[in-house]
Amino acid sequence: MTDTGIDVIGVARSFGAVHAVRDATFSAPAGAVTALIGPNGSGKTTLMLMLASLLTPDSGSIRIAGQDPVADPRAVRAAMGWMPDVLGSWATLSVRATLEITGRLHGLSKPASAARAEELIDLVGLEPLAQQPTRVLSRGQKQKLSLARSLVHDPRVLLLDEPASGLDPSARAELRILVRRLADEGRCLLVSSHVLSELDEMADSAVYIEAGASVSAERIGRAKASLRQWRVRALDASAVPAAVEAAGVERDRIGRDHLGTLVSVESEAEAASVLTKLVGAGLAISSFAPVVGDLEHTYLDLSRGAVPAQPVIDGTEDLS
Amino acid sequence: MNAFLTGVGVVVALELRQRVRTTAWYILLGVFFVVVGLVTLLLTFALGGFLGDAGGGVLSTIVYFVLLLGTLVTPALSGNAINGDRADGTLATTQVTQIGTGQLVLGKFLAAWVSALAFLVVGAPFIAVSVIIGGVSLDTALVSILVLAFELGVVAAIGVGLSGLLARPLFSIVVTYLAVAALSVGTLIVFSLAGIATQSTVTSESRYPEYMGVGDDDLVCSDWETSTYSIPRFDPYWGVLVANPYVLLADATPTHFDRSGTPDDLFGFVKVAVRQAQIAPDLNSVYDGCTEEGISDFQTSREIIESTVPGWFVGAAIHLVLAATALTAGWSATRTPARRLPKGSRIA
Repeated sequence: MTDTGIDVIGVARSFGAVHAVRDATFSAPAGAVTALIGPNGSGKTTLMLMLASLLTPDSGSIRIAGQDPVADPRAVRAAMGWMPDVLGSWATLSVRATLEITGRLHGLSKPASAARAEELIDLVGLEPLAQQPTRVLSRGQKQKLSLARSLVHDPRVLLLDEPASGLDPSARAELRILVRRLADEGRCLLVSSHVLSELDEMADSAVYIEAGASVSAERIGRAKASLRQWRVRALDASAVPAAVEAAGVERDRIGRDHLGTLVSVESEAEAASVLTKLVGAGLAISSFAPVVGDLEHTYLDLSRGAVPAQPVIDGTEDLS
Repeated sequence: MNAFLTGVGVVVALELRQRVRTTAWYILLGVFFVVVGLVTLLLTFALGGFLGDAGGGVLSTIVYFVLLLGTLVTPALSGNAINGDRADGTLATTQVTQIGTGQLVLGKFLAAWVSALAFLVVGAPFIAVSVIIGGVSLDTALVSILVLAFELGVVAAIGVGLSGLLARPLFSIVVTYLAVAALSVGTLIVFSLAGIATQSTVTSESRYPEYMGVGDDDLVCSDWETSTYSIPRFDPYWGVLVANPYVLLADATPTHFDRSGTPDDLFGFVKVAVRQAQIAPDLNSVYDGCTEEGISDFQTSREIIESTVPGWFVGAAIHLVLAATALTAGWSATRTPARRLPKGSRIA
C-alpha cells in the first residue's frame, strides 16, 4: 500500500447479470506510467470509472493516493485527474473558458483558474484555438483539451483512458514526452490504450485485464518467456534462412514475411547469440529486431493461451 | 457553507453560458417580447374602451400570458439538464471535480429557474405600461408576480429532477410537459368530469300568480307545483382545482372590486368562478312568484369571495412537495460513486 499511487484489491462490479469486472488486483506506483491493457469488453472502462470515483465497486477495495473513492470521493477527486474515453465538451464554450470553468469547479479562485488555463493551453499546444468554441475542435484537438482538463487541479494521480486516439504522429510524440514528464515529476499515471506500440514507449509496467480479471504475475511471466519472433533483414535476403539454420535454429522456428526472415527465439540471450553467429558467418545484417513490442507480445500470447473467453461484455460500453 | 454556495454559483454560471445563452434562446425572448407587446396593445384598446382604468386587466392578462409561455418553455430548458449532459459526456467531467451532487442539482435548478424568469423580465416593460395606464393595485401586482415566479420555479424543479431520474432527455422533457399539463389542464378535466358524474336531485317548489279575470283582484296564486331535476355537483371537488397553477395564481392574489362588487381584473373573475364551486347548490329551491321571496339571495362577486375559503396555500404546498420530491429523486439518482445506473444510461 502506498499513499501516492493506485492500489486495487479484488475489485468486482456487475451490471445486472453482466459481470463487467470480476476480480481486478493491481498497484500502480507514483513516479511511473502503468499501462492498462485488455481487449475490448474486458472491463477496462468500468475499472477506470470505479477508479475515477464515479462507480461503486460491488466488492473489493480501491485506494487512490491513499483515499477511498467510496468513503471520501471528494478527497480522491482532489488528488486524481481523469481523462475519459468519451469526448464530452461544453460545445459553446471556448477552450479557455472550458479550462477556467473546470478550475472553478475544482475550487480554484477566478484568477488562479485563469492563470492555470493559460498554462495548460500552452502545455498542450492549443494557443491558436484558445478562443474557439470547443465544438469546432477536431478529435485530436479535443483529446488535448481533455488532457488539459484532467490536469487543471495539478493531480498526483492521472487516469488516462485512450489518450492517444485521434492524435496525429507528432501529437502522439508530444503526448509521450508529456506523459513521461508527468511521471518524472512524481505523479502516478495509469494509461489505457489499444495502441500497444505506443504504450511500449511510455509505460514502465503493465496491468493486463482479461474477461474482467487482472492477469496474475505468474501468467504474465510465462507469456513473456514464451517464444518470440525476431525479424532479420540482410542485404542478401535469400541467404538469411540458410544462415539462420546454420546458426543452430531448428527449421520449424524459421519463417518469412514480406519484410524479412522471422526467427522464433526463447529469450533475448538466445536472440543475441543468433545475431552474433549470423554476423560471424559474414551475413550483411541491416536489421535485427522483435516483430512486435514487449506489451503486444505478452498481450497476444495471453489472449492466445487464454481460457476460452467468457461472454463478458464491458458494461459501460454495452449500456450506451 | 460559503464554499457550497460558491460551487452552486459556478454551476449556475456554467449552465447559463453553456445551455441557455444561445442564439435560439435570444430569438425566443425576442418573439416573446413582440407577442406580449401586441397583446398589451390590443388589450389596452379593448379594455380602455369601456373601463376607466384598464391597468388591472392588462396586468393580469400579461401575468397569465407569462405563466402560459413560461410553463411551455421551461420544461424544454430544464427537462434535459442532467441527462442531456450525460448524453453529451459532460456530466461525469463535472462530477469528478469538487462539485457535489447537491451543488450540481441545485445549480442546474437555479439556472433553469433564472432562465424561465427571463420571460418575466422581458415582460417587465409591459407590466410597467399597465401601471402607467392606471388602476393597478400594488398588492395585486406584487403578489401575482411572486406567485408567477414561484410557479416557474416549480416547473423548473420538476424538469431538473426528472432529468436526473430518467435516462433519456426526450423522455424526461415529455414527462415534464405531462406534469405541467396534468396540473394546468388535468385538474380542470378531473374537476369537470367528477362534477358531471356526481348528480344531485333538486326538488323545486314554485307557484305563480295567475289571472283569473280582468280586474287586479282577479290575480290569484296558482297551486304549489313540485318538480325534480338533476344537476351536476362540483362543490365536493373544488379542492382539485387548488393545484391548478392558474387558479392558484388567481386565488392567492388580493382582489379589488368596483362599486358594484365586481372584480377589476382577470384574476378576480377566475377567483370568483373557482370560489363559487365551493358553494353547495340549494337542493330544495322554493320560488314563490306571488311574494317576492327567493329573488333576493343573489350574491355579488365580493360576497362570494368573502364567504368562501381560499385554497391557494394548499396548492402551493402541493407544488412545493412535488418540486422537492423531484429534485430529491433526481439528486439521489445522480449521486456518485453510483451504485445503480439509470436503465439504459451511460455513466460518462
